[in-house]
Amino acid sequence: MPPPLPAEPNRPAVRLTNVTKTFGQHTAVNRLSLEVPAGCTYGFIGPNGSGKTTTIRTILHIFHPDSGEVEVLGERSTRAANDRIGYLPEERGLYKKMTVRRVLAYYAALKGMKRADAAAEIQKWLAKMGLSEWADKKVEALSKGMAQKIQFIAAVIARPELLILDEPFSGLDPVNLEVLRSAILELRAQGTTVIFSTHDMTMAETMCDFIFMIYRGNKVLDGTLAAIQQGYGEDTVRVNCAGGAELLRSLPGVELVRDLGQSQELRHRDPQALLRDLASCTTVRHFEVCKPSLHDIFIRIAKPDAQELQPPKTSGGGS
Amino acid sequence: MNKIWRVASTEYLNAVRSKAFLFGVLALPILMAISVGVQVYAQKKTDLTPRRLAVLDRSGQLYEALAAKSRARNEWLRTAENSVSVEMKGRRLKLDMPRQPEFVLEEFKFPGGDLKAAELQLSGRVRRKELFAFVIIGRNILAPGATNHAELLYHTQTPTFHELPGWLDSTLNAEIRERRFTAAGVDSKQVRQLSQPVPLQRLGIAEQKSSGEVIAARHENRIATHAVPIGAMMLLFMVVMSSAPPLLNTVLEEKMQKISEVLISSVSPFQLMLGKLLGTVMVSLTLSTLYLVGVSWMLWKFGQLENVPGHLFAWFFLFQLLALLMFGSVFIAVGAACSEIRDAQNLMFPVMMLIMIPMLTWMAVLQSPASPFSRALSLFPPATPLIMFLRLAIPPGPAWWEVALGIVLTTLFMLGCVWASAKIFRIGILSQGQAPSIPKMIAWVFSK
Repeated sequence: MPPPLPAEPNRPAVRLTNVTKTFGQHTAVNRLSLEVPAGCTYGFIGPNGSGKTTTIRTILHIFHPDSGEVEVLGERSTRAANDRIGYLPEERGLYKKMTVRRVLAYYAALKGMKRADAAAEIQKWLAKMGLSEWADKKVEALSKGMAQKIQFIAAVIARPELLILDEPFSGLDPVNLEVLRSAILELRAQGTTVIFSTHDMTMAETMCDFIFMIYRGNKVLDGTLAAIQQGYGEDTVRVNCAGGAELLRSLPGVELVRDLGQSQELRHRDPQALLRDLASCTTVRHFEVCKPSLHDIFIRIAKPDAQELQPPKTSGGGS
Repeated sequence: MNKIWRVASTEYLNAVRSKAFLFGVLALPILMAISVGVQVYAQKKTDLTPRRLAVLDRSGQLYEALAAKSRARNEWLRTAENSVSVEMKGRRLKLDMPRQPEFVLEEFKFPGGDLKAAELQLSGRVRRKELFAFVIIGRNILAPGATNHAELLYHTQTPTFHELPGWLDSTLNAEIRERRFTAAGVDSKQVRQLSQPVPLQRLGIAEQKSSGEVIAARHENRIATHAVPIGAMMLLFMVVMSSAPPLLNTVLEEKMQKISEVLISSVSPFQLMLGKLLGTVMVSLTLSTLYLVGVSWMLWKFGQLENVPGHLFAWFFLFQLLALLMFGSVFIAVGAACSEIRDAQNLMFPVMMLIMIPMLTWMAVLQSPASPFSRALSLFPPATPLIMFLRLAIPPGPAWWEVALGIVLTTLFMLGCVWASAKIFRIGILSQGQAPSIPKMIAWVFSK
């Protein structure tokens, strides 16, 4: 049992210090340091197999790191904080033969919640998710969307201080996605620290206070969206012109053209030179120099032939 | 501890509320009732078609006597009561006897000397179903010393029907003996009296109390010395087998349905495994309690409960507990290590072999419960629960130190199994893909 940690104002909800986790010859997480401030929403992004789930499992003490320190909600000891953490894994399932109410009561009990408190909380969350009439139905009778909402309730039922959601929005229709998004934001407003991993860059941009990206086990981004975008400079241009993407690709200095339909997004070291080139050869309806989107940054880092594997310097957010 | 209890109680309630549990409880009595019912029905449906038998009596002296005895037997079958009366707990129960077909004999006269031709002719009649069988009695069968079995030849196409050759054998030999005695001038009645066998009575041993009172040896009770030990051991085996292997499926299903990761984010793998194990133990104890109550009621109903020593019930529960914890933890580990049922079945084989050891050796133990082999086997932890229990059920039972040593060794082995299984479970429960080999699982046990 490690000694109790000294009092620390503004102690982060999660602090990883030089955490390394290997599986055989494969290093899943390499000397990762990360601080998740309490009460914020932290987005974990990264390509499949980059180390997101391993990081999450390490935070949950499901995996023990080979080296480094893990501190969660002020606890360093194994699993001491787990009752205060809600977790929705990427691959999820429920006991099909149990009723919805019993499944949720079971998960609440495993988190150490009293039966009466759990019953009230179950009632509240089922009503919030529009599933009250399904409380005493077996899980196998639920649709996929309903089951996903029940799994979310299972993660939040014990009123966690830290909520970790691994791909919470995958497979959800827009209506259910909005229900879940609202619920997460509501929890965030109540002071719950939320960590979620996602492949939806727009969702990460709109919901997260901080973004963390891991690539091949290494941290490549960590900070606020604005700080990350700042680090990538103002070389992104959004254009609407006659000739479209095909014309843009033919111009000198143009990189990474992304066709958005009505407009195109691209990179150019000298936007003013690009504007001159465009004006000389086509009709320009819209020309905007903007910060790169998270999607763009993600592609730049994770594209197989990308040159920029090393992250640019960022400021703010985690370490 | 609280979390282990939560997992255990949920496992228990899920199991006992399921239809499978109800089926499990009712399966044994239903199967036994069906088995008895089918046997009774099959007995009543015995083929009672008279069996026609041709007799070629080359001695020329035995056919008439044989035919007379056959007629007497047929007459007895027609008139005699086909049931016996048995006294049980002061009441008389009537038990139906198996019914038998009549034997109809005909003499086959064969004046010629060609035995082969006679045999061929009679065989043809058997083939055409005119006869069920035929018997050839040798020419010199009454001669003293004519013991060559070739003198008495029974031919049939239905060798699985034993009543007719059995009856022929005993009837003809009794008649031949009588004739030989008469021919030798010996009084056959006197010979029968003199050669009357004296039944061997089997008894236990006498005891002397500290007060000096001598307790006489009691007659051997086959129910107490054989039926109770075998029945009790089989019941224990059945209860263990119906509870431990399903743990593999439970864990594997949770893994396949992706429930495990949610669970181990709330409880440690060890707590989860132990909770499951204890839940299963509780289910199994419920099942065995129900069975033992039912069996005890049946034994009491038929006045046989006194043949079951009371201490046997306590041993039953103790060894059931040890066996379940030992084998259950191993099955949990195998379930956690695999991702598919097919892989699990391959890994189950060595475990099943260990469980089956008592089933392959119990007869030898029953014959000589105190032999070095039986004693050694009862101290081999995977076999201890069943073999030591069997030895305890056979009067007078093993020495106390053997039982104590067996329990200590099995408890240590069980703790080792739980510890090793917990290590495998911790790693295996989140592993995906191909099942690990046994050496790899052993490496998991010793990994940090």
